[in-house]
Formats: sequence, C-alpha cells, structure tokens
Amino acid sequence: MHPLLLANHLIMLAGGIDGNKKPLDGSEIWGVTLVGLGTVIAALALLVVVILLFGKIFDQINKNQKEKEAAEAAKKKPKQAPAKKAAPAPVQTQPAAVKSAAPTVQAASVSDDEEVIAVISAVVAMMSERDGKAYRIKSVAKSNRNSGFDGRSAWAMDGRRQNVNPF
Amino acid sequence: MDILQSILGGLWETSGLAGLAAEPMKLLMMGISFVFMYLAIVKGFEPLLLLPISFGMFLSNLPAVLPEDMIFHAEYWNEQQSVEWLWKVLHDGGLLDKLYLGVKLQIYPCLIFLGIGTMTDFGPLIANPKSFLLGAAAQGGIFFTFLAAGYMNMSAAECGSIAIIGGADGPTSIYVSSKLLDGADSSLNTGTIALAAYTYMALVPVIQPPIMRLLTTEKERKIKMPQLRTPSKTEKIVFPVVVTLIVSLLVPSAASLVGMLMFGNILKESGVAGRLVDTAQNALMNIVTIFLGVSVGATCTASNVANLAFLKVLILGVVAFSLGTACGLGLAKIMNWATGGKVNPLIGSAGVSAVPMAARISQQEGAKADPTNFLLMHAMGPNVAGVIGSAVAAGVLLSVINY
Repeated sequence: MHPLLLANHLIMLAGGIDGNKKPLDGSEIWGVTLVGLGTVIAALALLVVVILLFGKIFDQINKNQKEKEAAEAAKKKPKQAPAKKAAPAPVQTQPAAVKSAAPTVQAASVSDDEEVIAVISAVVAMMSERDGKAYRIKSVAKSNRNSGFDGRSAWAMDGRRQNVNPF
Repeated sequence: MDILQSILGGLWETSGLAGLAAEPMKLLMMGISFVFMYLAIVKGFEPLLLLPISFGMFLSNLPAVLPEDMIFHAEYWNEQQSVEWLWKVLHDGGLLDKLYLGVKLQIYPCLIFLGIGTMTDFGPLIANPKSFLLGAAAQGGIFFTFLAAGYMNMSAAECGSIAIIGGADGPTSIYVSSKLLDGADSSLNTGTIALAAYTYMALVPVIQPPIMRLLTTEKERKIKMPQLRTPSKTEKIVFPVVVTLIVSLLVPSAASLVGMLMFGNILKESGVAGRLVDTAQNALMNIVTIFLGVSVGATCTASNVANLAFLKVLILGVVAFSLGTACGLGLAKIMNWATGGKVNPLIGSAGVSAVPMAARISQQEGAKADPTNFLLMHAMGPNVAGVIGSAVAAGVLLSVINY
C-alpha cells in the first residue's frame, strides 16, 4: 500500500468509519489497526512518564522530610548533652553498663548456637529411633542465603510460598 | 363437546409443548444450558458467572407461544434504540428484557468496573510504571484481530466487537459490542460476544500456558526479578486522578470505563469511605453480576447462537486472546533483552487483563521453572495495566467506528 494513501486514510479515520460498511478496504483495516495500537501505546507510555515523574517527586519529598527530621533530631542532641554533664553520676555508670553488655550479647549468641545444634541433634535422634538407623551430624555450617533463596531465610521463603500458593 | 374441544385446543396451542413442537431447536439450547450448569456446579468452571449465564440461557429458551408469556424477546434487541422502543421493552418485555436494559444501556459494565476498582491494588503498577507498556502491547491482540476480521469480509462494527474479546475483559467487551452493534445490520449480538469473552476468560489457564512455554526459554522463565518498592499512600491516591485525567484527555470515549474504575480505586485508597468500598466490592458487585449473567445468558437463543456468525466469533475470539498473550510476551522479551536479563518474559502475558487469573498463570509458570521464583506481584503490574489498556483500546474503537 502506498504510504500517502495510508496517510490519507488515517486522516479520514478522524471522521470515523461507518459501522455498517462492508467490506472494509485494506487501508481502512490497516488504518484502524495502526492508529488503534499506536494510540493505546502512546497513552500508556505517557502514563509511564507521568507516574515515573510522580514517583521521583514523591521520593524527593520523602527524602527531604527525612533529612529535615534528622536535622531536627541532631539539633536537639547537643542541647541534651550539657544536661548529662551536669549530672556526672549516670555518665560514669553508662560505660560500665556498655562494657558488661558486650560479653552478655556474645554469650547469648554462643548459647543460641548451642541450643540450635541441640534442637537439630534431638530431631536427628528422633529420626534414628523412628527409622531404626544411626545418623550422625557431621557439621552445622552457615548457608549462602543468596543461592536459591532470593536473599531470604528458609522461614521467610516458606511463609512467602504459603501466601502465594492459594493463587 | 365442541366447546370442550375448542378449550382443550386453545390450551394446547398456548402451551409450551406446542411452542416446543414449533421450535425444536429450543430443546438443543436447553441441553447446552444444562451442560454449562454441569460445568459450573460439578467442575467449578467460573461458577459465579457461568451459573447465572447458563440459567438465563435455560429461561430464555423455555417454550412459549404467546409473546406476553415470553421471559425474553430476542427480536427486540436488533432494533434501533428510541423512546418508542424503550417503552415497548418496559411495557411488553419480560423480566429478562428489563434486566438486559442494563447491558444495552452500558450500565452494568461501568458498575462492574467500579467494583473492580475497589478491589484492585495498583501498587505494583505504581512501583514499576514500565508495566504499562506490557499492558499496552497485549492489546495488540485486539487490533491484529480487527485486521483478520476485516479481511474476512465483516463490517466495521462486527470487526470491532469481535476484536475487543482480545482484551480479555468481559465488561469492556459488553460495553463496546452493545454500542457498536446497536441497530447495526449484523447477525452478531452483545450476548454472543459476552459469552465468547467470558468463555475464553475462564479458559485462560488452558490457552495461555502453551503459548508462554512456546515463546520463552527455560532460562528466561527462571529469571528472578528484584522486590518492588512500596508506593506511599499519597501516590496511590493521586494515581487514579492522574490516570482518569490523562486517558480522558486522549480518548474521551474511554472515560466512562476508566472513570468508574478509578473512582472505585480512590474510594479504596482514600481510606475514608469504608462503607462505600464494602458495598461496591460485595453487595453491588454481586447484584450486578447476577443481573449481567442472567440477562447475557438470556440472549443465547437458537437464532443467535446456532449460526455461522457465532462460530466466527469463537474462532476469532481465541485468535485475539492468543495474539494478545503473544504480543505481551514479545514486548517482555524485548524489555528483558534491553535491561540485560532483568525482566522475566512470563509477566508479559499478564498484560491481557483477566485479573487476577493471568497474573496467577505467570506465577505458576515461573514457579514450575524454579520453585523459588515469585512473579505474582511483578505480573500484577501488567495485569492491572491491561485493564486500563483494554479500556483505552475500547475508547479508540468507539472513536473510529461510527455507531
């Protein structure tokens, strides 16, 4: 089809095609197809641009708000510091508390690991009893979360799977 | 004796049995309605729609000789709309004629869009606006089917009415076909278009997966997409206003559909109209679905369905649906190539509307390739973009075809 003929029909489409017209000629058929698809893509592409722009504006507003809040919080801190100096007793006790807290956290972590291994051992012992076979735990090692689990823990993955399964 | 004979004769002539003897095809149509009821009740195929449609089909095919005994008058709906016509429907029409006015006057599709709006979360689309393009590409099914129908010697109104099935959106199909076919010299009607559209929507899990597997590689189906950001409440409230404004400025004919969809959505997102949201997404939606289903089913009379035109609708309908799926997948593949492998092409097929079924299929196909792949939220973006896209496509068809 000659491009000028098609262009002419595209302009004619502005007036519309009679719904009862039969048969339609080639340029009318192609005209509706191209104009239709083009308009839909153009309208939704415009929406892409506008929504992207809105996203950027809202992100900037949120960022500015957070910065403002952070600046206000920073302004309040220096005012509180002299008050602490005026009362020497709590300042002296605070470092001591922090020092004692660190080993406690470490101890808790070690204790947690041991408890986890104890739980795994108990499950394996139950399996041995049920199956009548002897199992041995050779090692308990950290897995690479990114391999196959999309950066999530096994618990999070299972929760996600349960949420999505009904769909 | 003569009197008795004349009374009995009169009774026979006005009975349904005489009607059945005069139109035996009604028996066949009732048989088809029973099959649909079986599929809805026993097999669970879209029962909320298929059951009202099949029962409406059964009711309108009940034999009656006298026009005043008929629940539905198929002949009324091929006439040009006028004040006299409306009076005739209201005065002489049966119950289903009166309910069908909601279809013919495009009231039900817009109310259904209101309900859909209150149930839709546009968050995934706002988080990834590029999904709009996938929703646009999937509308290729509509326009390429228009092309095919045009070369099959159909009128412009028939081409547009069949092509819109590719949007995989029942209310939009009804909206467009009821406008285009009003008073048109055509053997098609809104009921058959709606029946084909809803049939193919129910068959999404059957039609889409083979096309998805054919057009994507195993490696592409395994692509994992990064988690989407969470849009703020303000963004979600501004979104419906912006979309309505832009779409209405570009395609005013789509304003009714898009406007009601977005009205429902702003009711939901504003968080201040809980009672209205509750009514729109439950009571109103259910009432309109019952009226729509039973009255659309009523249009499936032997004269409307048992003909070559309906066969053409069925064939071109599945072509439209398949082309839409393929176009969405095609653009998603291009986006994947352009972003260096960051877009899973399976989300492209969700651009054909059919919310949320098409997105579910993308999720299921992705999970089949890799059980740790979660595409549901990524596919919801193109899926809801498809609803907007099909409404825009409907507006374009109504703009370029005079009815």
